Amino acid sequence: MVIENLIRQFLSGLSVGMVIFIIAVGLSLIFGTLKILNLAHGSIYMLGAFLCYWLTSTFSTAPGIFWWALILAPIGAALFGGVIEVVLLRRIYGWHMMYQWILTFGLVLFVGDLCKLIWGVGYHMVSPPWPFKGSVNVLGVFFPSYNLFVMVLGPIIFCGLWALLRYTTLGKIIRSATYNPEMVNALGVNVPLVYTSVFMLGCWLAGLGGSLMAAMSAVTLGMDASIIIECFIIVVIGGLGSTLGAFLGAIIFGLAYTLGIVVFPGVAIGIGFIIMAIILIIRPWGLMGRPE
Amino acid sequence: MKSLWNRIYTFRAVWLAIALIFLFALPSFLSLGHTSLVIEMLILAVAACGLNLIMGYAGMVSFGPAGLYAVGAYTTALLIVKANVPFGLAIMAGPVAAAIIGFLVGWFCVRLTHVYFALLTLAFSQIIHTIIFQWYSFTGGDNGIVGIRVPDYIASINHYYYFTLALTVVCLALMWMIGNSSFGKTLQAIRENPERAEFIGIHVRIYQLAAFVLSSFFLGAAGSLFCGFNRNVFPVYAHWIKGADIIVVCLLGGMYKFLGPFLGSILYIILDKVTVSFTEYWPLVLGLIIVLLVLFLRGGIAGFFTEKFSATTIRGSREER
Repeated sequence: MVIENLIRQFLSGLSVGMVIFIIAVGLSLIFGTLKILNLAHGSIYMLGAFLCYWLTSTFSTAPGIFWWALILAPIGAALFGGVIEVVLLRRIYGWHMMYQWILTFGLVLFVGDLCKLIWGVGYHMVSPPWPFKGSVNVLGVFFPSYNLFVMVLGPIIFCGLWALLRYTTLGKIIRSATYNPEMVNALGVNVPLVYTSVFMLGCWLAGLGGSLMAAMSAVTLGMDASIIIECFIIVVIGGLGSTLGAFLGAIIFGLAYTLGIVVFPGVAIGIGFIIMAIILIIRPWGLMGRPE
Repeated sequence: MKSLWNRIYTFRAVWLAIALIFLFALPSFLSLGHTSLVIEMLILAVAACGLNLIMGYAGMVSFGPAGLYAVGAYTTALLIVKANVPFGLAIMAGPVAAAIIGFLVGWFCVRLTHVYFALLTLAFSQIIHTIIFQWYSFTGGDNGIVGIRVPDYIASINHYYYFTLALTVVCLALMWMIGNSSFGKTLQAIRENPERAEFIGIHVRIYQLAAFVLSSFFLGAAGSLFCGFNRNVFPVYAHWIKGADIIVVCLLGGMYKFLGPFLGSILYIILDKVTVSFTEYWPLVLGLIIVLLVLFLRGGIAGFFTEKFSATTIRGSREER
């Protein structure tokens, strides 16, 4: 029984970790390129989750609606993010971090209340889609097949993102804009457009995470405040701005959190913060980052 | 207009006396509900001015003021409820405990700079939140601690108002002295240029740690005062959202003026109550206000007035980066 419980915790830790990875890597990408610690990232995630709920509940009779929602909700989140970038964030690049923190905190309040205004305060559920409705037997443990699907999707997103940054022209431009935006601008690349697209990509990832999470747990207000802190933990563990770091950080966080529930139930939610503090004290640039 | 501000500034002792007399007389022409709002303003002002010691004076942006605020509140609450310590002693123990925790936290934090400093203060603040939230047998977990007894002589709202007013005046006077001492000037030098400060022989980390501990002390004092006012304490006091509120108050009033956070807390509470009276979507309005404030009024109200009415204006130098 102990072993089975451990396997179940291990799997659920990985699957939750993968969703948080998808969200956190967006945050990391935005911080790496735009140098903005975007507090409103959690709000974009919540918006994605609510959009997914809204689409699946409004068109509940349409076949395969969840899969449509999974495509459309992140796009909606990305468009919303694009508007925020063009209207607000574009003005504050290079300002003191405190102003960026406060402005994005204002957005947290705004988007949170907007969701309350539109969708109300209740708990909303989205049921897992066909063909991931039931449970499957993994090593003698029955485990929701939807979570397994998420566990597979996480590494796919990671590889896709890595390949995008590594091998495509856009990826090369993003990496060089991270390094020296003035020079890239002088070479004739439209850097503001690159920034907007990076921000939209980050928001797309947050929206995707939100839509995926919608079918795993309840969609409700307040999910933004908790996820953003977890994203910070992951991004700090892996190193601000690092894709691979976010991936490792998510796995470490997911496992530490769920194994913590088994071993020390009382302090499980604190473990992430303790790891974050230790990493910041002994290696502030994170596992995969480089010292400044 | 500019000479007007100078004239006001020359008679600042007179204005201060008038303000104190006004505050002293306030409860006699306010209803109890409004008096308790003023109490909230005063307590928030202590917290925001305390945070401003490190944010405004020393330029260290902390994301975790709420943790230390909660340490003060919970120390007072626990001493009264669990150990039957007299109220006066318990309310003094709050800031001291916050200063001790602030020393431990600050010891690690001042080794880091910029975003890493901010994130580490956030991590510690959340650790404090988790401890309070999870330790049911000691702190009551998410039920908080309710029904804290307060001695009879400050039990009524008016009496607690004078108690808060007295302590607020003491705290603000202390902070004013700290800010204008050579210590305060050194902190400002560190804010403007840490490397140069180090070159002229200032031990930057020790000064930053001292500022962090002092700031924690006043955050704890605000927490203790609020514990006595509300007579209940909840883990949400330590949540990062509460901390962001205090940072917003600092920005709203103006970070580089001593009275900025004080004005900010007055405006914040008024905005809160006025908006709540006609819409339940207060955060929506507050969010908009914050965004506009950051975009167009980074000096806060105090900065706005000094820029408009002062003959000696330093323009722009502190706003960027």
